[in-house]
Amino acid sequence: MERRKRSGSVKLFIILGFLLSIVGHLSALSITVNDVECVYEYVLYEGDTVSGNFVVVDHDIFWSSDHPGLDFTVSSPGGNTVHSLKGTSGDKFEFKAPRSGMYKFCFQNPYSTPETVSFYIHIGHIPNEHDLAKDEHLNPINVKIAELREALESVTAEQTYLKARDARHRRTNESTRKRVVLYTMLEYLVLVAASSLQVVYIRRLFSKSVAYNRV
Amino acid sequence: MSKRFGIVVVLILGILSPLLVQSLRFDIQSGHTKCIAEDIKSNAMTVGKYSIVNPNEGHPLPESHKVTVRVTSTYGNNYHYGDNVQSGQYAFTAAEAGDYMACFYAIDHKPVTTITIDFEWKTGIAAKDWTNVAKKGQIDVMQLELKKLEDIVQSIHDEMFYLREREEEMQELNRATNSRMGWLSFLSLCICFSVAGLQLWHLKTFFERKKLL
Repeated sequence: MERRKRSGSVKLFIILGFLLSIVGHLSALSITVNDVECVYEYVLYEGDTVSGNFVVVDHDIFWSSDHPGLDFTVSSPGGNTVHSLKGTSGDKFEFKAPRSGMYKFCFQNPYSTPETVSFYIHIGHIPNEHDLAKDEHLNPINVKIAELREALESVTAEQTYLKARDARHRRTNESTRKRVVLYTMLEYLVLVAASSLQVVYIRRLFSKSVAYNRV
Repeated sequence: MSKRFGIVVVLILGILSPLLVQSLRFDIQSGHTKCIAEDIKSNAMTVGKYSIVNPNEGHPLPESHKVTVRVTSTYGNNYHYGDNVQSGQYAFTAAEAGDYMACFYAIDHKPVTTITIDFEWKTGIAAKDWTNVAKKGQIDVMQLELKKLEDIVQSIHDEMFYLREREEEMQELNRATNSRMGWLSFLSLCICFSVAGLQLWHLKTFFERKKLL
């Protein structure tokens, strides 16, 4: 009885240790996309929720309009596209993985200017009743803890998205400020130059060397 | 006694957990560079691990599969350098806040090969070493899970403060730009009038001198 109880609690520790190590997630990473950039992530269990977001941080575009955005595709290990977004400058995504395996997340830049993408991918697993039934040492409380952790992860993901968007917004604002000052100074110079050219032209019209009383 | 054994098992699993923790993979072609950047706040702990994925299981990695890794801060300070290695790791506390870049350069090889790198970069609370906390406190595994959740909540709280600060800075910037635009437009009007006035005065004296007026 004593030995069985000890091996039972050891099993519990093993299971919980396994669960502990599954807290896997990345912080927001940035990558520069020239043409196509792909990132691979391994999904351990079928039915896991893969969630994430990405924001395109514009490079300083001075003359042309805003970059139209990137194309984003997620391919399953079988090769078919699970999720795709076209021409966005940032979005959130979430889907249930149909099977386990290596998933491919690709960013495609249809234009020649390189863009920097800041992305965040999280794969969340909540042990369901099937896992509970398989292993009697898995407590329902572990399910609740996993659900809580997933909810907190979603808040963290949202914050990462907000931070990336805030960074892009700040870049736009700073570029606007620089442009405003530059264009205003240019306007002053052009104004002064135009009026002095006018004066010089009128003086020349009335100067004796051109022709006497031609005016 | 069983509790200590359990903690040892957890520790062993923690050491083995690189097999279980999710990491990111990407490809590099020989001779090309790929850089991944991350925005790290000052005084945050950060841990990174990289290794080349073996295309044939069981055989050792071929010599052509080697990378040079460099981790630098925004200001150019070097935090980690691995020359022609097949795997490695780095850990440091970020002295400066900003974008830290980890650049991987695959060494040149004549038939262009594609190297797959398995990379993991954790910052802040994700970089915390939970196995040490478990060992030191001799605490229950359930308590460890709950402690982790508490840490996550604390980091969310701190992040909200940070976002709020950034939003305030941005509002200040916008307001300053707005007032600056107002002043510049007013100045442009003044310049316009003064230039027109100068023109008129100059031409009037010019024509009076020429005895045309």
